[in-house]
Amino acid sequence: MKSSYNSHIKRIVLGLVVFAVLGFVGKIVMMPKSFGKYGPYRADAIDEEANREIRHGTNASCLSCHPHEANIHLAGLHKTISCEFCHGPYADHIKDGKVYGKLPVKTKEEIKVLCLRCHNKAIQARPGEVIKTIVMPEHLESQKVKVSHTCDQCHQVHAPLKYINRAKEITGIKEKS
Amino acid sequence: MDALNFVFPNDLHVHWSMMIVLYPYLTGLVDGSFIVAALYYVFGVKSLKPISRFSLVFALAFLSCAMFPLLMHLGRPERNQNMMITPSPTSAMSGAGFIFTVAIVLIGLIVLLVYRPTLVKLRLKTKGIMNILYRVLTMDSTNLSPESLELDRKIIKFLVAIGIPVATVLHGYVGFLFGGVKANPSWSTPLMPVIFLFSACVSGISALVLAYIVIKKLRNQPVDLACVRTCINILAGFFILAFSFEMLEVFSHSYLRTWYHHAVEGLLNGPLFYSFWVWQVGICSVLPLLLLGWLCLFKLKASVFKFFAATVSIILLLQVLLMRWNVVIGGQLMSKSTRGYTQFHPEWFDKEGIITVIVLMTLPFIVLFIMSKIFPLWLEEEKASS
Amino acid sequence: MGKPDAELDKERRAFIKKVLNGAIAGSLLLVIPMPIGAATEEIPEQIPGIRGEKWDMFNQRFAFIVDITRCIGCGSCCVADRREYNVPEGYYRTWVERYLKDFESEVYVDSPHGGLDGYQSPRTDIEVEVRDTFFVPKLCNMCKEPPCVQVCPVGATFKTPDGFVLMDPKRCVGCAYCIQACPYSSRFLNPNTRTAEKCTWCYHRVRKGLLPICVNVCPTGARKFGDLNDKNSEVYKLLHEHEVLTVLKKDMGTYPALYYKGLRREVV
Repeated sequence: MKSSYNSHIKRIVLGLVVFAVLGFVGKIVMMPKSFGKYGPYRADAIDEEANREIRHGTNASCLSCHPHEANIHLAGLHKTISCEFCHGPYADHIKDGKVYGKLPVKTKEEIKVLCLRCHNKAIQARPGEVIKTIVMPEHLESQKVKVSHTCDQCHQVHAPLKYINRAKEITGIKEKS
Repeated sequence: MDALNFVFPNDLHVHWSMMIVLYPYLTGLVDGSFIVAALYYVFGVKSLKPISRFSLVFALAFLSCAMFPLLMHLGRPERNQNMMITPSPTSAMSGAGFIFTVAIVLIGLIVLLVYRPTLVKLRLKTKGIMNILYRVLTMDSTNLSPESLELDRKIIKFLVAIGIPVATVLHGYVGFLFGGVKANPSWSTPLMPVIFLFSACVSGISALVLAYIVIKKLRNQPVDLACVRTCINILAGFFILAFSFEMLEVFSHSYLRTWYHHAVEGLLNGPLFYSFWVWQVGICSVLPLLLLGWLCLFKLKASVFKFFAATVSIILLLQVLLMRWNVVIGGQLMSKSTRGYTQFHPEWFDKEGIITVIVLMTLPFIVLFIMSKIFPLWLEEEKASS
Repeated sequence: MGKPDAELDKERRAFIKKVLNGAIAGSLLLVIPMPIGAATEEIPEQIPGIRGEKWDMFNQRFAFIVDITRCIGCGSCCVADRREYNVPEGYYRTWVERYLKDFESEVYVDSPHGGLDGYQSPRTDIEVEVRDTFFVPKLCNMCKEPPCVQVCPVGATFKTPDGFVLMDPKRCVGCAYCIQACPYSSRFLNPNTRTAEKCTWCYHRVRKGLLPICVNVCPTGARKFGDLNDKNSEVYKLLHEHEVLTVLKKDMGTYPALYYKGLRREVV
């Protein structure tokens, strides 16, 4: 069969049309379902992000099972500090409402490092009206305490001034409030 | 100085690395070689006839490999079709898939139509698998009547004419991709698409000149000097434009002295001092300008002319690569803190590393070689064989 | 001086009772399974008016305010954020910067490890007299005209009708264009998922009436978050009174929903 003078052009055009149709159909088939509901994005992604696993609780979620620490913590200056900052996230401790892992309790040198993260006066950027800062080892020396002492030997870590104030009451330095 | 250097914590890592330097380089080569084809087929510059077909096949070979650097860069290359299924209406990058598809179909069609007479002759002469291949490529038509050739000629001219804006968008969108990032003061300038386009033309024409001279030398065949002279003249024109715009951008920052100029100046005079001022501007721009002036304005012996045409092409290919490097990687060295610079360490074996760059730069030449077995590159060879 | 014995006795008894109660309650918890999701329903809500109501997608307005005058550089926010989202090493959803100004108007900025270790020691690499020094926490500015959304080629980052700029990790191709486009460097490419990520103002917590984790753990109230539809919220009051609130890189035209109180002019 002899092709006419423009049959190659007709075949090219046909090929292009088929290609375009296939592409268009492919795009419709592969388009994700919730796309375009609110805008040019997959609206289901909003709910997927909203249902992400929550790993931290709040202090209230810790204190509801730990009332002893709650009473101490909520009465002291450290009530604004998050339990989970020192001890770890809620999700590492409770899963499906049951205890499944233990959260670490900090010990001596670890406690000192944690305290100095906030209370070190050498970092001058800490506003005095927001937080009381001290310099080590001068703080220990001024209190006539051995410089190998760690902070928790005088301060109750959950309420730092609890023992200090009690000691002052006992020795008569401070009036009982 | 080190104490004053501050980089935002998330700015330490350079996210767009050598693959993103290579992608504009490859599409630039496509653009430049297409411009030569356009000058012949649309604007009738007859002296370019010897490399008219070569430039088209060259453009097609490089375009076919242009997407690989991007696929190597993407964190999730298996999802690359998302850009075509759900392109964002505001993103320059979402145009990539569509522009690439249009460009490769267009250049593919142009090549098929330009080569149709040759391919029909080859179909009638070959057997077996090559015969099937040629039948497919000629749409199974053997009609070479004057009407069909006239139709072909008109269609080719039309396709190459619309190919010019397509090629402009193919590389121009990359320039706009950078130019539209207001967060990076060394990228966000309206001149960026213009700079990218003109330097693309420079790289493409230089590549053609170099390839032409080298291939003919390797086959011990003569080079059409009028053709090379025309190319060098056009190259000089494009390069003057490209270099002027590049310098205009730098001087504009340095004169206007707006808020971010100190960071951009610090970048060019600091971490990029050698790669920008010494190499890109000094050795690879000022020197070629002088060489091009000499080549264009003076009458020279053929062998001297050929040698320096090839030399200037090599230097300009390096200039364009350096320009891409200084813009892409250099621009990311400057932290958004405007107070410091980070460092870039090219890796050898990374998926975006040096070995990958070498492989992806060699691949188009392999494709070109394979294509040369299907589409004869040179008109003289065709005449000799028929 | 000292408490009478009877009183001490009473206190001891009360203490033992409390501990026993706690122990019994605690051990009961080990035995009685709680319903799934008890975690959030048990926790008292921190943002009023969200729990128990259907989430109105189109009428939410939240604001985040950072008070520079109260940040002590403890890094609790950075630690909590890293733990909440398992952020990989070397990348940050939020970080704290330290600024130091000397008497020659030179500004030194650093952010060692993003402030994750808190600032435990002063800068050892400079020997200048410090005129002023402060901390600046940084996070996603949740722009009202986000450049990251503008440049994303596949719609993997988007602005929701409730004003949050979120990520769709299933759609992201990892091109890193959004990371280039963010003027605040809030974004990064997660090397494990190979997709882009950023701070989301803890959208998953806010939807359940809880505060973002960095706001929750901040011990000094330097980070504040609230509902602007609630006229009693702290952020509403701050935004409608005579406080000087500024935003970062205002000339970029991104209209951030993150405001700073007490920000100095040196901060970029």
